[in-house]
Amino acid sequence: MTPGMLRGFVVLFLAVALATPVLSAEGTLTWGVHVTLAARWLDPQETEGVITPFMVLYALHDALVKPMPGSMNTPSLAESWSASKDALTYEFVLRKGVKFHNGDPVTAEDVKFSFERYKGSAAAVLKAKVREIQIVDPGRVRFHLNEPWPDFMTFYGTSASGAGWIVPKKYVEKVGDDGFKRAPIGAGPYKFVSFNPGVELVMEAFDGYWRKKPSVQRLVFRSITDEATRAAALKRGDVDIAYLFAGPIAAELHRTPGLRLVAPLLSGVFWLDFLDQWDPKSPWHDKRVRQAASLAIDRAAINQAELLGLGTIHGNWIPPQFEFALTLPPPAYDPTKAKALLAEAGYPHGFDAGDFHPFPPYDSMGEAVANYLQAVGIRTHLRTMERAAFLTAMREKTIKGVMINITGAAGNAATRLEAYVAKSGIYSRGVVPEIEDLLQRQAREPDPRVRQALLHQAQKLVIDHALYAPIYQLAFIWGLGPRVEEPAADLIKMHAYSAPYEDVRLKK
Amino acid sequence: MPRFALHRLGYSLLSLFLLSVVIFLFVRVTGDPAVLLVEPGAGAADMAAMRHQLGLDRSLPVQYWSFLTGLFRGDLGKSFYYRTPVLELYLSRLPNSLLLAAVAMAFSLLLGIPTGIMAAVRTGGWWDGAGKVFALLGLAMPSFWVGLLLILFFSVDLGWFPSSGSGTPLHLVMPAIALGWYFAAAHMRLTRSSMLEVLGSDYVKLARLKGLPEWRVIAKHAFKNALIPVLTLAGINLVIMVNVAVVVETVFAWPGIGRLLYEGITFRDFPVVQATVLLGGGMIVIVNFFVDVLYAVIDPRIRYER
Repeated sequence: MTPGMLRGFVVLFLAVALATPVLSAEGTLTWGVHVTLAARWLDPQETEGVITPFMVLYALHDALVKPMPGSMNTPSLAESWSASKDALTYEFVLRKGVKFHNGDPVTAEDVKFSFERYKGSAAAVLKAKVREIQIVDPGRVRFHLNEPWPDFMTFYGTSASGAGWIVPKKYVEKVGDDGFKRAPIGAGPYKFVSFNPGVELVMEAFDGYWRKKPSVQRLVFRSITDEATRAAALKRGDVDIAYLFAGPIAAELHRTPGLRLVAPLLSGVFWLDFLDQWDPKSPWHDKRVRQAASLAIDRAAINQAELLGLGTIHGNWIPPQFEFALTLPPPAYDPTKAKALLAEAGYPHGFDAGDFHPFPPYDSMGEAVANYLQAVGIRTHLRTMERAAFLTAMREKTIKGVMINITGAAGNAATRLEAYVAKSGIYSRGVVPEIEDLLQRQAREPDPRVRQALLHQAQKLVIDHALYAPIYQLAFIWGLGPRVEEPAADLIKMHAYSAPYEDVRLKK
Repeated sequence: MPRFALHRLGYSLLSLFLLSVVIFLFVRVTGDPAVLLVEPGAGAADMAAMRHQLGLDRSLPVQYWSFLTGLFRGDLGKSFYYRTPVLELYLSRLPNSLLLAAVAMAFSLLLGIPTGIMAAVRTGGWWDGAGKVFALLGLAMPSFWVGLLLILFFSVDLGWFPSSGSGTPLHLVMPAIALGWYFAAAHMRLTRSSMLEVLGSDYVKLARLKGLPEWRVIAKHAFKNALIPVLTLAGINLVIMVNVAVVVETVFAWPGIGRLLYEGITFRDFPVVQATVLLGGGMIVIVNFFVDVLYAVIDPRIRYER
């Protein structure tokens, strides 16, 4: 190469370098969130098995494997993972060059430490199943289980728990648990700036994030728990995105020029839970009565009134997005047939069906269902309860009659059946031996295809026996302001909030 | 006098002790907070672990002793929901509540007292009628509704004020009006009745007989004396505004003590509820103690009666 050519290359290189704009994050995006922001959500250690803490975790922290667009088990801090054939060992290979916000590398030590430190939801079951965590080398970690557990990745690699979310061991040991909550350091796309408990959380872009550089410089989460105030803040432009609207306020936002609504579907399907069906003396014991109740409900009308029609109606009480879920056709609305079934069951003039409990805070939806039951002659007494009292009564099985049920717990069809249908289920009130046998067999089955077949049979039997009557899948309505280009809504299936945050964009 | 003060101090400490027992037991009657802190499908082992983490698996006397000894160390416990020390939370919210209460009180006095005076001076007239309507509306309209109306009109329609939150003087305007509105009506009613009573007294009649101008009779002789019960009420109302502006603070997302209390109740956050109630009660007890001592200083008969 001649000196002239070399000069030419250097000039060309500099010209290209100078002409290429340096992309950097800019702007501030403000959310009006419906919940009271808690410090415990800054630390994956204390994550409950509900989706709310993940609103914060997806910004500040990162997991070995987590739900992402396209897959519920996407390698993140791990670049790959594998399970042994006997389902007793799971191995994770860490992504190279990934750093925490303080510059420390993410290592296998951090993975082991984070798992052992975890004490949130599902900690008991995870720690009972995991025998040992072996650090093969700084970039490789192996989990040895006590027995084959096909659902290990459902608990470790999804939002069913926070055990797979990694915190920096050295930093946590230096500042302690309380210090970590005051100034958390993670490996997520956004760094912690400030937190006023219950009021506001501010974060800024972490340019060194491995997946991509965030587009928005600053994220602000502001707690506005009153729905009408949240709507006002969105209309006035005080916030850009506001979560959780329903009924008339959602309709009002829908009509407001410049605003738009999006509604990710959550992992919860409302269902009618016939609590007294296991009592042979109760009218609910008769399958025809339960089928009549299902036929009496105009699901489309209630969905329209409550969620502007944004929920989806299914024939199964397990969301179709769940692994191993069985898709069934939506139940019909046929009050005439419902009355005929009631007459056939010996109740031509209807019957007094006892108490009806809506699931708080969805009282108006419950009231609508009770009215449809009343219209075919199933007369209930509406009993609304404060949420904590309701959850306690539900857990202690002191609620009688019929209730609306829903759960947003992450997992798959097996975990949901285990909680609500299996003999050992925390909310089960009775057992159908045929279903129980299928559930026992699937729990030991390592082959996913065979397992799916067993779980499909179990789900079909639940509906055939009319144990539960599904109503509709809950949509979580957000309002979006005019500045938002990409809110990252529903990119991850059944995730209620914006995520991944590095994909969020403001209009230029 | 020192004996009297010590006596009152003893009563104050006893009141606080009883309050601590009552609130400690009362929150525990509401149920199990662990149920709100675990996922709905959590098993018995997870529930037990959560109760252990919160210290609720200990006996009630042990829990109370821990609470009481913590108080003496200035430790009000750790919030179940936030997982941060309650004292830190309380102190971070207190300045906001004091600010809101001060502005709301100023608003209520500036509106309530002049309206009350005018209504008393023009009894049966237009001013009196308007004052009665104002008082009726002020006492009848719930503050959350007033708050929402203010947000819709002044924030959404006119765009004058931010809809919620805190941080600038503009953020204060609407919550202060919503909170002060009810108290303005109460102050107006008391000012009116107090003024009517004073205006009928002998010394006011004498002042008029002496030929003093009416404005001077009202300003110098009637108003000053009528103000005493109003200011006494205002003092109590101020403590109420600081501690229990629950609805207004929630509607306006104002980060004060009232909202903290609301959150504490909603999440069965025992340490938060215990602390906010006890510290609020403590404020009242301290104010009463100083008022008692002050009365005794001013009026010797009070201390001799003891």
